[in-house]
Amino acid sequence: MSFAGAVKNFGAVRAVDGVDLEIGRGETVALLGRNGAGKSTTISLLLGLNAPDAGTVELFGGAPESAVRSGLVGAMLQESRAVPRVTVGELVAFVARRYPKAMPVAQALELAGIGELAGRRVDRLSGGQTQRVRFAVALAGNPSLIVLDEPTAALDVEARHAFWQSMRAFARRGHTVLFSTHYLEEADAHADRIVVIDRGRIVADGTGEQLKRAAGGSLVSFDLAGRATEGLAQLPGVRSLEVRGDRALLRTDDSDATVRALADLDAIHGLEVTPASLDDAFLALTAPELETV
Amino acid sequence: MLDYLRLEVRRTLRDVGFVIGGIAMPVMMYLLFTNLGGDDSGYKATAMVGMAAYGAVGSALNTGGGVAEDRAIGWLRQLRVTPMSPRQVVLGRALTGSVTVLPAIVAVLAAGGLVNGVRLDAWQWAAIALLLWLGSIPFTLLGLGNGYGLTSQTTGVANMACTMGLAVLGGLWFPISLFPGWLRAISHYTPTNRFAELGTSVADGHAPALGAIAVLTAWLLAFGSYAVLAYRRTGRTV
Repeated sequence: MSFAGAVKNFGAVRAVDGVDLEIGRGETVALLGRNGAGKSTTISLLLGLNAPDAGTVELFGGAPESAVRSGLVGAMLQESRAVPRVTVGELVAFVARRYPKAMPVAQALELAGIGELAGRRVDRLSGGQTQRVRFAVALAGNPSLIVLDEPTAALDVEARHAFWQSMRAFARRGHTVLFSTHYLEEADAHADRIVVIDRGRIVADGTGEQLKRAAGGSLVSFDLAGRATEGLAQLPGVRSLEVRGDRALLRTDDSDATVRALADLDAIHGLEVTPASLDDAFLALTAPELETV
Repeated sequence: MLDYLRLEVRRTLRDVGFVIGGIAMPVMMYLLFTNLGGDDSGYKATAMVGMAAYGAVGSALNTGGGVAEDRAIGWLRQLRVTPMSPRQVVLGRALTGSVTVLPAIVAVLAAGGLVNGVRLDAWQWAAIALLLWLGSIPFTLLGLGNGYGLTSQTTGVANMACTMGLAVLGGLWFPISLFPGWLRAISHYTPTNRFAELGTSVADGHAPALGAIAVLTAWLLAFGSYAVLAYRRTGRTV
């Protein structure tokens, strides 16, 4: 799938602002962003639910609608609730029959971890179970690409864990998976590649490791013990300096060089080196733009 | 699409509100109204057709309620990301409407024949059922228009108002001979009055008047356009 300069406005709001993105077959990609960053709009463009105001969106080399029509795509949309008055089995079987290469219903339910719920009415299930039914609906057609818009929103920890296991089982079968989330750990743990979106633009794209490195590899901190801070920001590798109470925090690309320089200055009291977390990376990527608001 | 039809009919029949309001209510009202007064067999047949028509109108409009509900819960949007085409979805919904009117029609006619002893020839029973079935199409379109054009809450209210208003005004509940002259004149132009007339004329042993068919066709076009406009406005981007 590919996006080229895709733009989508809703009234005066530019929800997607020139997105360029390519995803190859078999990848598991996380679309990471805060609420309102443009994740859902990007997904609706990808699925052909909305047309871009400018730029192009292609799925499997053609218009999204024709890929959807040929049964290459399955999706779990964000704002959908349980379909009343059908059983899980009836619903999943109905959706599966719409697709040319569907998997057996029992298998879809098994993959989604709801094999024992086939005879239950969809509107009488718990939130976590409903979410898995929606997952089963998305994968029932055995589509090449499955798109999951915030699949674990409103799930408790246990249900979330079970959900990701199901998702990985599906991805292992060679399917392309694109999911959106605002949980950093989820993106890091379950995707091969993370695309960070902010204010309708892609601000980073790579593995969790790459994102962490891009945001400044590690954090070196030590007790100032009354020493002045000037010159610290100019030490080798240092990108930024922050002072919290009596402690200096240096974000650095090269922690070895920074620590060596600090040792020369004899500024090693309570010295600590920690790798930047994905949280740090995410904040570093999206925060600078926040200040311009 | 037959699959979709089967799914939606099943969902409709599992709706307790539909079964009580759309099927049981017309039957009970029919039995109540016809057995409170004297033993007028002519009225029993006319009221039977009127109540069957009322049940059909309610069931047809209920289809719109289903559409509004499916829009609200995101089911129609979910269908858009399956290989089903929008045309299949709309057509499937319209067909659902025309299937779900049948239980009400059959139930009231059965109550007339079995409980109230209405005696008609076999062809008359068949023709009445068939005409009521076909004649319900404009009301299904009205329901679809409401379902696509309005929110799920207002659709319920609008459908209720349309059903009650049109039923009373068209003389489905009480014979329009009880109406004052001006109201009777208006009643002749309502779709419900002409809809019931399809059945009552057969019960009287003759074909429906051209006027009835003309008025009903005009309403068919009006409600059809309304449904298309409502769908164009919201249905394509649910």
